[in-house]
Amino acid sequence: MSEERFILDVIEEASAKRRADRRRFMRMAAGAGAVGGLAMLGACNGDDEVIVVPTPTPTATATGSVTDADVLNFALQLEYLEAQFYSYAAFGTGLNASLQTGIGTQGSVATGSSGQPRQVAFQDPIVAQYAREIAYDEIAHVTFLRNALGSAAVAQPAINLSGDANGAFTAAARAAGVVTSTGTFDPYASDENFLLAAYIFEDVGVTAYMGGVTLLSNKTFVEAAAGIHAAEAYHAGLVRSVIYRKGLTNGTLITAANQISDARDSLDGSTDLDQGITVTASGVTSANIVPADSNAIAFARTPGQVLNVVYLNKAAVTGGGFFPSGLNGNVRTSAASG
Amino acid sequence: MTESEQLLDALDARVERRNHRRDFFKTAIGAAAAGVTAFSLTSKAGAQSTITDADILNFALNLEYLEAQFYAFAANGTGLASSQLTGTGTQGAVTGGKQVTFTDPVVASYAREIAADEAAHVAFLRTALGSSAVAQPAINISGDANGAFTAAARAAGVVGANGTFDPYASDENFLLGAYIFEDVGVTAYKGASPLVSNKTFLQAAAGILAVEAYHAAIVRGTLYAKGIQTPALITAAGQISDARDSLDGSSDLDQGIAAQTINGQTVSNIVPLDTNGIAYSRSPAQVLNIVYLNRASVTLGGFFPAGVNGTLRASAAN
Repeated sequence: MSEERFILDVIEEASAKRRADRRRFMRMAAGAGAVGGLAMLGACNGDDEVIVVPTPTPTATATGSVTDADVLNFALQLEYLEAQFYSYAAFGTGLNASLQTGIGTQGSVATGSSGQPRQVAFQDPIVAQYAREIAYDEIAHVTFLRNALGSAAVAQPAINLSGDANGAFTAAARAAGVVTSTGTFDPYASDENFLLAAYIFEDVGVTAYMGGVTLLSNKTFVEAAAGIHAAEAYHAGLVRSVIYRKGLTNGTLITAANQISDARDSLDGSTDLDQGITVTASGVTSANIVPADSNAIAFARTPGQVLNVVYLNKAAVTGGGFFPSGLNGNVRTSAASG
Repeated sequence: MTESEQLLDALDARVERRNHRRDFFKTAIGAAAAGVTAFSLTSKAGAQSTITDADILNFALNLEYLEAQFYAFAANGTGLASSQLTGTGTQGAVTGGKQVTFTDPVVASYAREIAADEAAHVAFLRTALGSSAVAQPAINISGDANGAFTAAARAAGVVGANGTFDPYASDENFLLGAYIFEDVGVTAYKGASPLVSNKTFLQAAAGILAVEAYHAAIVRGTLYAKGIQTPALITAAGQISDARDSLDGSSDLDQGIAAQTINGQTVSNIVPLDTNGIAYSRSPAQVLNIVYLNRASVTLGGFFPAGVNGTLRASAAN
C-alpha cells in the first residue's frame, strides 16, 4: 500500500468515526436554510438529530488549473473582507484607499442608514484589545499579499459588511437561526455580536488557507501561506475561547456559535467541515475550541467551498452575501454544493 | 502607485509596527524585506533536499509524544497507552507527570480537549508512518527540582536559581507549562512546511499546525485574561518567550503576551507574528535547541534526556 493511499484510508476511516463520536452530526436540509434565509436551523438543533440530505461531493478545483497568483489573489480578497470588518469594528475606519486598488473591478464597503460598519462601543476592554490586535494582523495580511503579488494584485471587490436588515450579516444570522426570519443582526451593536460576527469569518479563513496551501507550487509561498494560516488559527482560537468563556454565563452565545457553525456546514456540501464550540458526549457537554477531525487535524475547504460560505449560497454562483459583486480574479465561482 | 512605492509603504508599515508592537527586533527587518523580494523571484534554495518526508514526520512525532504525555498526565493522570510508544530507535520511559487538581473548570476542560488532540496527533502520525515510525524516546516532564520544567523555568527566571517549577501544582503553572510547548509546535510545523514534498502530507501537516495554533491561542489568551488580575503570569510568559528566543539563535522568533500601546490604545498580543502578520518558523534544529534547553549543537537534554529518535536529532549551534 502506498503511503498516500494509506494515509487517505486513515483519514477516511477516522472522519467517519469522528462524525459518530465527537460531534452531533447534523446535515440540514440546507437548501432551504442558508440560501433562502427562511428555514430555521435552530428548529433542528437537538442533539443526535440527523437529517441526511444526499448531495453531490463538491467538485474540487483542479490543482493544475490555478496558478500561485490565483491562490494568493483569492486569499487577498478574504483578507480584504476580514481587514475591513475588524478595522471598522476596532477603529471606526476602513482600510486605507491605497490598499484597495488593483486588477478587476474595485468596489466599496456598503454602508446603510442604520447598522452601517462602525466602531463597536466595547464594554469589555479585553475584547476591545483583541479586536485591535486582530485588525492590525489582518491589515498586515492585506499589505503583505499585495506586495507579494505586486502588479498582479486584484482590487478590493464590493463588500457588504452592513449590520442592517439588508446586510450580509443579517442574511447569515437569519439562515443560521441566530435571529428570526425577519430579525436583524448588527455585529457592531455589542461585544457579543462582534464576537459572533468574527466567529463567522475566522474558522473559514483557517479552512481556506488549509485548502489553499496544497494548491501552491512555490515553496516560499507555501511557507508564507502556512504562516498566515497559523495566524488565522490563533485568531479563531481566541474568538472561540472568548465566546465559550462568556457563554458559560450567557448560554445564547454558545447556541448562536453552534448555529453559525451548522449553517456554514450546510453551505459547503455534504462533507462535515465545521464544528461548534461545545461537544456533548455521554450527556456531558464540554469545550470544543478546536474544530478538527478525529485525527485532530483542522478541516480544509476548497476555494469553491469557501465561496459557498462567503456568498451565502450553496449553489455555483459568482457573487452574493459578503461579496455582492463577487470576487475579482480567476477563482470566483462557488462550488455546486447542493 | 508603483510596486516600489508599495514596497516602501509596506516597509514603513513594518517600521511603524515594529516600533509599536514589539519591544525589540533584531534581524527580522532585514529578513522580512528579503522575504518579500524573494517572494516574487525564486523559491528557497534546497539544501534540505536530503531530508525525506518520513524524517520530517518522525521529527514531528517526537514532539507530539512530548506534548501528548504532558497533557495526558495533567488532564487525566495517566500517560499514553503502551501500544502508542513502540517503533524504531530506542524506546524510553516518561519521568514525572501527574494530574493537575484544577480549580477553574474551564481550564480543566481545555486541558482535556488539548490532551485528546495531542494523543490523536500521535496516533495519526504513527499510522501515517507505519513501520517507519520512531519509538517514543525518554521524556522528562517531571515537576521536581531535577525536572526539565524546573530547568526551563530557572533559565527563564520564572523561578530563582534554586527554585522549583511544578507545572502540575496549579492551574497557572499548568498554563505556563503548556505555554512552553505550544508556540514551539506552531513554529516547528511552519518551518517544516516547505520541506514536505508529498501534498497529502503537506495538507496533514498544515492541519496539525492549525490545531497547534488554536491550542496556543487558548493557552495564551487564558494566561492573558488571568494575568489582568495576576500580572506575574504575563511577566512569566514573557520570560519564557525570551528564554526560548535566546536558545534558538539571533533571529527574533518569539513574543510574549504583554499588551502594547499603539496610537494611544492598548492592543493585546495573543498572536506571535512578524510585521507581515505571519507566524514564525523554526528549523528542526532550532526546535531542538528549545526542547533540549541548549543553544549549542547537542543531541540530547532537557525534555529529551536521551535525545529524540530518527535522523533529525542534533540542535543548532547558536
